[in-house]
Amino acid sequence: MLILQQVANGVLLGAIYVTIALAFTLTIGILNFLNFTIPPIFMLSAMTAWAAAQFGLPFGIFGPMPWTVALAFGIVVAILASLLVERLTFRYLKVRYGDATEHAIPLVSSLGFLLVFQNGIRMAYGTEPHRFITPLGDMSLHLGGIFISLPQVLSLALALIIVFSLSYLLKRTRTGRALRSIAENPDAALLMGVDVARIVPVIFILTGLLCGIAGSIFAVNYGQVYSGMGDEVGNKAIAGMVLGGMGSIWGAIVGGLLIGLVETMSIYLFGGDTVQSVVWGLLLVALVLRPEGLFGHHGIGKGKF
Amino acid sequence: MSGYTGGLLVILCLNIVMAYAVFLPVATGQLNLGGAAFQAVGAYTAGYLSATYDLPVVPSLLASMATGAVFAFLFSLLIMRTKSVYLVLATFAFGQFLTGVIINVDALGGSMGLSVPAHVEGWTVILFAGLAMLLTLILMQTRFGLAMRAIHDDDAVSELMGIGVRGVRIGAFTLGGALAGVAGCLYAFYFNFCDVQSFDASSSFYLLLFVLLGGTQTIWGPVIGAVFFTLVPEVFRNVLAYLPAFGHGATSGQVDTSWRFILLGMITIAMMVYRPEGILTRIGLGAIWHGVGLARRGRQGT
Amino acid sequence: MSPNDAIFSLRGVTKAFAGLKVVTDVSFDVRPGERLALIGPNGAGKTTVFNLISGAYKINEGSIILDGVDIAALPASRRCAMGIARSFQNIRLMPHLSVVENVMIGQHARTRGILELLTPLWMTRARQEAEAQLAAFDVATYPNQAIATLPYGIRKKVEIVRALMSRPKVLLLDEPAAGLNTNETAQLRDFLMRVADGGVTLLVVEHDMSLVRSLCDHTVVLNFGRKIFDGPTHAVQEDPAVLEAYLGRPAHTAATPRAETADHAS
Repeated sequence: MLILQQVANGVLLGAIYVTIALAFTLTIGILNFLNFTIPPIFMLSAMTAWAAAQFGLPFGIFGPMPWTVALAFGIVVAILASLLVERLTFRYLKVRYGDATEHAIPLVSSLGFLLVFQNGIRMAYGTEPHRFITPLGDMSLHLGGIFISLPQVLSLALALIIVFSLSYLLKRTRTGRALRSIAENPDAALLMGVDVARIVPVIFILTGLLCGIAGSIFAVNYGQVYSGMGDEVGNKAIAGMVLGGMGSIWGAIVGGLLIGLVETMSIYLFGGDTVQSVVWGLLLVALVLRPEGLFGHHGIGKGKF
Repeated sequence: MSGYTGGLLVILCLNIVMAYAVFLPVATGQLNLGGAAFQAVGAYTAGYLSATYDLPVVPSLLASMATGAVFAFLFSLLIMRTKSVYLVLATFAFGQFLTGVIINVDALGGSMGLSVPAHVEGWTVILFAGLAMLLTLILMQTRFGLAMRAIHDDDAVSELMGIGVRGVRIGAFTLGGALAGVAGCLYAFYFNFCDVQSFDASSSFYLLLFVLLGGTQTIWGPVIGAVFFTLVPEVFRNVLAYLPAFGHGATSGQVDTSWRFILLGMITIAMMVYRPEGILTRIGLGAIWHGVGLARRGRQGT
Repeated sequence: MSPNDAIFSLRGVTKAFAGLKVVTDVSFDVRPGERLALIGPNGAGKTTVFNLISGAYKINEGSIILDGVDIAALPASRRCAMGIARSFQNIRLMPHLSVVENVMIGQHARTRGILELLTPLWMTRARQEAEAQLAAFDVATYPNQAIATLPYGIRKKVEIVRALMSRPKVLLLDEPAAGLNTNETAQLRDFLMRVADGGVTLLVVEHDMSLVRSLCDHTVVLNFGRKIFDGPTHAVQEDPAVLEAYLGRPAHTAATPRAETADHAS
């Protein structure tokens, strides 16, 4: 039973990793951009949701919000932050220098954003955890001895909905086809009449949305938020993305769930301190043995870095 | 070597040694997001040998250099099959993995950190910063250094011109690891302490930013980057303290360091938009050496 | 020609990308000091053959023999050390290196041992050698000039000088005259003749037939990845298979109006 309980917890933690890993896989698969702002934006959305519920908007524009409105506010902030990143990492950058590090410019820029977001929040709200109180927190289901809380069920359902609507978007819609054509070959996409400048923000909006939803799931599920959650939780989604295979939606799902399970299992078997070394060690082994991941293909990440 | 200025100078020099450790792989086009982890290898090697076997400074330094080099060599040998974004991810994963391991090893003090009995004075650190600079300067003047720069520009053509790209990359990465090992040892002996927090992912980010923002085209870039980002926040320390502590959770010490990193982040973003090649470029250096007029004439190609 | 006196040979070289054969069973021999042109319509596989010879791609079948040694399994950097150097269709000089530093990269293939690798270059004569080579070929430029500021024609020459610095036995030139005007092409021809007089065997991919005629004594024609002609340059234009490849129809019917209408009808 205890094992089954760990599996249930792992799957639900995995749902958060899946959502963030999807954001990573979209930007790296389509833009070949390892976007390090994703974990801080995930943190930013949860922290602003907490702040909105606790204090409301600054300068007395709006008083403390109900938790649902606060979460929506957090998601909007995440999308806006992601669009800001797009402005300053992609829109005004043109590749001007023919050397091996030019492709790293957006990556380096995203590290700059990481510092700004993380330290801004740290200064504003400190490093200690804050409680995010929802009425859902106390509701739970008992299924044959396993204890599953209602937010866990909801977040899993939400993650599944996101996954399916995202794969629908990419497969069936005009925008989706345009996005995939950029992933195949940006120059050809431009020649074929895809308005790359128009379509790139869509990826960042999706990224922000996914980070915001992941932040909401985290806040509701664990009932607390803290400024280090981007580092501690968000970064592990990178491991999930790589294990599954960069640029693959199914890879992000399987990889994210796998990391969730590995994490809860290693806590269960070896204790909480071992999680970091187990997860990242697994990623290192995967990078040595099978860098393209479970579902990845060779084309991704081939550009010089 | 004491007091505020002295302490600052030593920190600057530690940063310079580390900046060169990160610069060597970057100069061959490999981004290293795990620089601080290789420094941790050196720091904990020296710390452990000193705390457990009471090893003196000089052999500890050599041991740190060796372990740093061996770790970097094995890492790059295994990971060199993968390129580009995979390498960035692998260095990042290595950093996370190593700090995760150190926390769990009681012999290394775990999350409490490790007290180190042996001590070096600040002037030793300064000496090694000079040495690191000198050695990198000489290395970049050799055929190996020329090959590194060629690979940075175009690895495919370098291979076709007879340069063993894989070997040069592994070599540069290993040399960087050795230098990081030395920097780690100096850190442990100067502060008589090492803890995992000093070598976490953020530290690796800062180091990489020092180097990239300083400029990777010349060997002076890392120094410029380290000096700029170590000293500028200090110069503005008084100003920073007066900047508003917005929000609700701030404590006074927190505000100071947070503003410092927010500034570093903003400068990074602005630099990537306006001057992605870094503060100092070859053309810029040429202008300084030969005077602006000469450089302009050279550019016109009379 | 007997294969024994060839310095360089391709034997049944085949290359496929994802099942699609782009080079099929190509064989030819090059004698020392010869100037061989490799021509063919667009997409015939000329640049692919260059990439196979220089090691940018690995061949699927066949062998590449340089001085009696099969180099097909060697990595690109070793092939360069054995005496194969090349220039590129779109000039690929290192943008952050000066002219003389670019030329010095060509010397790398001759470096032996770790000690030579780690000797500061100012302690050797490497720089003087590179500058002398630039001067010897009248490349009118400042050695310390940045690559980006050089005129196109000069950059082409610098790239060839860089290739020559590895003291190659065989020099591969990928469309050396592309983008040059008539006057510059004539200069390039004289330049390449001097290179060849120095004992270097030339392999040239070129579209400019006047340059091919005046420079090369031996021509190989490729079409759809297969060799369709191998012989003296002056015989190329009378060869029916070549005419068919270039004009798109059998040569002996090309002039007859009836065949033309038949073509249109089909």
